[in-house]
Amino acid sequence: MVFAFFIKMKNNYLIGLLTILIIFIFACSESNDDDYTPVSPVTVDLTQVPYPKLSDYKFFEGEMKNQKPSLNVLPYEPLSSLFSDYAHKKRFVWMPPGTKAIYNSDNTTLELPVGAVIIKTFYYDNVQPSNTTKIIETRLMIRKSSGWIFADYVWNDEQTEAYFDLNGRNIDISWKDENNVIRNVNYRVPNEVQCNVCHKYKETIDGEYIEKHVPIGIKPQNLNSDYTYGTQTKNQLLKWVEQGYLENNFNLPNETNTVVDYNDASKPLEKRVRSYLDINCAHCHNTNGHCDYRPMRFPFGETGGVNGHTNMGVCVPTEDMQDFPPTLNTIIKPGSSDKSMLFYRINTTNEYFRMPLHGRSLIHDEGVALMAQWISSLTDCP
Amino acid sequence: MKKITLTLVLLFAVQLSRAQDSCASALTISAGVYAVGTINGALPTPCNGGDAVPVAYVPAGEWYAYTPSQNYTVTITSDISQNTPRKDTRFHVYTGTCDALSCFAGDDDSGSGYSSIDVFNVTAGTTYYIAWDNRWLNTSQNTGFSFQLIEAPIVVPPVTPITYVTQNVATINSGYNICVVDMNGDHKDDIVGVSNNNLRVHYQGNTPGTFTVTDYPFTNVSNMPGWSMAAGDYNRDGYNDLILGSGSGLSILRSNSTGTAYTGITPGEYIFCQRTNFADLNKDGNLDLFSCHDVDDNVYYLNDGAGNLTYYQSNTTPGSMNLSSTTSGQNGGNYSTLFTDFDNDGDTDVFISKCSGPPCQLIRYDGGNVYTNVSAIAGINVTPIQTWSSAVADFDNDGDMDVIITASSGTHKFFRNNFETTNTLSAFTNITAGSGWDANPSTNIDNVAYDFDNDGRVDVLGGGNKIMFNQGNNTFAGVSYSGIAVGAVGDLNNDGFLDIQNGATIRYAVPNNNNWIKVAFEGIQSNRNGIGARVEIYGPWGKQIRDVRSGEGFRYMSSLNAHFGIGTATTIDQVIVRWPSGIVDTFNNVTPNQTLMVTEGASLGVNAFENSVFTVYPNPVKDQINIAINTANPVEFTTASIFDLNGRMVQEAVVQNQTVTVNQLAKGTYILQLKDAQGKNYSQKFIKE
Repeated sequence: MVFAFFIKMKNNYLIGLLTILIIFIFACSESNDDDYTPVSPVTVDLTQVPYPKLSDYKFFEGEMKNQKPSLNVLPYEPLSSLFSDYAHKKRFVWMPPGTKAIYNSDNTTLELPVGAVIIKTFYYDNVQPSNTTKIIETRLMIRKSSGWIFADYVWNDEQTEAYFDLNGRNIDISWKDENNVIRNVNYRVPNEVQCNVCHKYKETIDGEYIEKHVPIGIKPQNLNSDYTYGTQTKNQLLKWVEQGYLENNFNLPNETNTVVDYNDASKPLEKRVRSYLDINCAHCHNTNGHCDYRPMRFPFGETGGVNGHTNMGVCVPTEDMQDFPPTLNTIIKPGSSDKSMLFYRINTTNEYFRMPLHGRSLIHDEGVALMAQWISSLTDCP
Repeated sequence: MKKITLTLVLLFAVQLSRAQDSCASALTISAGVYAVGTINGALPTPCNGGDAVPVAYVPAGEWYAYTPSQNYTVTITSDISQNTPRKDTRFHVYTGTCDALSCFAGDDDSGSGYSSIDVFNVTAGTTYYIAWDNRWLNTSQNTGFSFQLIEAPIVVPPVTPITYVTQNVATINSGYNICVVDMNGDHKDDIVGVSNNNLRVHYQGNTPGTFTVTDYPFTNVSNMPGWSMAAGDYNRDGYNDLILGSGSGLSILRSNSTGTAYTGITPGEYIFCQRTNFADLNKDGNLDLFSCHDVDDNVYYLNDGAGNLTYYQSNTTPGSMNLSSTTSGQNGGNYSTLFTDFDNDGDTDVFISKCSGPPCQLIRYDGGNVYTNVSAIAGINVTPIQTWSSAVADFDNDGDMDVIITASSGTHKFFRNNFETTNTLSAFTNITAGSGWDANPSTNIDNVAYDFDNDGRVDVLGGGNKIMFNQGNNTFAGVSYSGIAVGAVGDLNNDGFLDIQNGATIRYAVPNNNNWIKVAFEGIQSNRNGIGARVEIYGPWGKQIRDVRSGEGFRYMSSLNAHFGIGTATTIDQVIVRWPSGIVDTFNNVTPNQTLMVTEGASLGVNAFENSVFTVYPNPVKDQINIAINTANPVEFTTASIFDLNGRMVQEAVVQNQTVTVNQLAKGTYILQLKDAQGKNYSQKFIKE
């Protein structure tokens, strides 16, 4: 609204001034708080989205490539994050004024209100030849009354704008990684149907097959950690409550129900592995997921109990052996990553063998090393 | 002099202590327990256990030689009490000479705690080389295990329907080796390998087991066939072209007119390809390109015959054909398509095997651009189902195509087509119980349905290193073959028995006493490969049928020749080829054990005007063709179409009183095509004078 007044002021100074005065008087008569109340510029008209350009949403202030969030666009970061060919990510959430999410349980996605948008920008630092930051794409999930829709915005070379595109494409990137090694990737911007594979939730209700889309990362178990918001460091879930984005009717997940950063070597190995499998594998390998027909159950909430190791595939026979070495007849073979199908599949780039099927073309060296360390530590079948 | 002798003796002694370090110096053993010391000798070429994962230690082996004095059933095992706890061992057994060893037996993990056991029969006087390697041993385990060789009275195993010998082809392509098909137009199967920027063809030579290797570099191919390959001559130049199906879309390798170069084409649409096929989807005589889509509606590229391919996605592109599920949420999960004729009306319908939720589909072709989903009528849309491919063939030789939906998870399901008795595409009957498929625990990702033992019944090569052999009466019995996996199938030594390619290893079937016939195709009006043609053979066994298909099972591309075993029969009464164009070629009294080359329309010789259904007279004809129906095979003809030899229709008429008036035709040779009341087509060549 404030933004709109500025426009009017330009057009007609007098009317604009009068309007502001009227509003001011009106506001003062309503409240004793005479602080200036800033209003978010974000505009998400559900009858119009997805917009043709990312800038149309006004999610960011200033130069868009700096990704400085506008008012009420809240950054967040899950404790344990999906590997996407070493792309770096920035994530934000926005909800319409006066709406908030509902907490259902520690390990289920927060239920966001109609009008909410989840924003995720993918970029690489030290992109060759000039060691620059290059933003590739910004993916949105927008909650309409009918459910979540996908939108994707591919950035131009000038990094000034991103344009709606759900057809998918491949982009060659060469960058210098954290160890000063030049790496190359044929980065995949997903097609809309690829979004659906991971964000799919399948159900059969009264004999009728129903498929809907769900966000993956925004589960309390993943957000129960501190995040630095400018000068303030605060637990993300509490911040969401403070922001008015989350109903204040729950207790923070306890340590058992909270994932860890799988890169953090100070955390227990088993928990790092469970956190890794949860964020990288569980969106397909769960009861309602795309690949529900294989025996693995990788959600964090299902890998901790008495059936945890079985759900992770420890000593579980491999069903699909075609074209694989016969030694890989177990999903996880205690003590032997070389004889574990899961290890083989995450340690290859051959698309017929590799897992995950979507979103990875490079081997995640750190993830593979973590899995090898864990498999070596196992001695017994469950 | 003495000093020198002493040195020689010392050298000899040193050699003795390292006796088992190579094949040539293998330690001679008999029945007993042997301690394997530090494994540091020559590395054996693995027969067992694969070798696709990184080796952490210096690969090495220890060698033993065993020459039995009589025939025994021998057990070699490291699963013995001397090894407590068990060690993760692996061994290989070879015959032949050290210069030319061939794999004979061996094991990786059959024993407890990853130890090894194998049982095999040995022949007196033959030397068997046994090599243990350190593939799975870590440093601390690299010494100190023992193995035992046990001799027992020989147990002769039951005779398997067919056995295989192997040949390693060292020059095989390093990339994707999933295609066996003719590439140079001689109708003999070749080995087709694709890697980045290179097509490598092993052309089958005249001497069995010899191949001529030719590389064809190509460009503009960004999609490797990670998921499937298909072959067909879509540009109609006499040489097969290839579809490479990847998770990001498909690429095409298109031959030039002499088959000496290939152009890479990448259309660019995003497709999560699964099975790819060549098929003439709209029956215009041109092969179209089809791809199953894992996560969306199926797609295809229509070929206009002039080199133009137009992309369509079912349910999406305006004017697209209905080749996908129209049910919301069920349009993905398309893993394999198999184009075949389920209702014997002379055109190809399609069976879609589906995974990750939706049921399978049977879609009937109704001419033009019309496909009708008849899954519910056929009753093959059972749930829950998780299948990557199905085996489709006339398993009971009753003249219609049956379906075995094999399980990627869950149980296999065998459906009998009842068309031959009901004369309509009606409910299939689930005959899984007692068929042998209910007792097959193996996961079948791929299915390659062929007659592997040439007994006249179609078998299925599938999961578990197993061929399910058709026993007749819709029952199957599985035989497992060590090391043999699903692969591309063709006749790679031209002996009439089907061979299997597993990477660089060719498994040649050892001919049993059964007879066979192969049929190769040269389409004129129809597509050149005869894809979509129905082949029938008649003889003492009754009837057998095949449909020519590009793309069987999930990922492999197998021979485009039709192959039939005929058991011990020595005569073939008749071979009929029903081309997609409607032209029917008929051959009587065909000699078995040959490749019958069929050029479309060629059998319609004016002197061989009698076929099993009808006779035309006079021939040559002046004004009116008379049709005499075979009384043993009564049909009612409704319409007649007359084509010139270029495939152009020159006249269409209603058949009245079993005559067709042709007085308007110019002099020349023509093909008469008759359609019966059921819509089946029959053809006969005639001369107008």
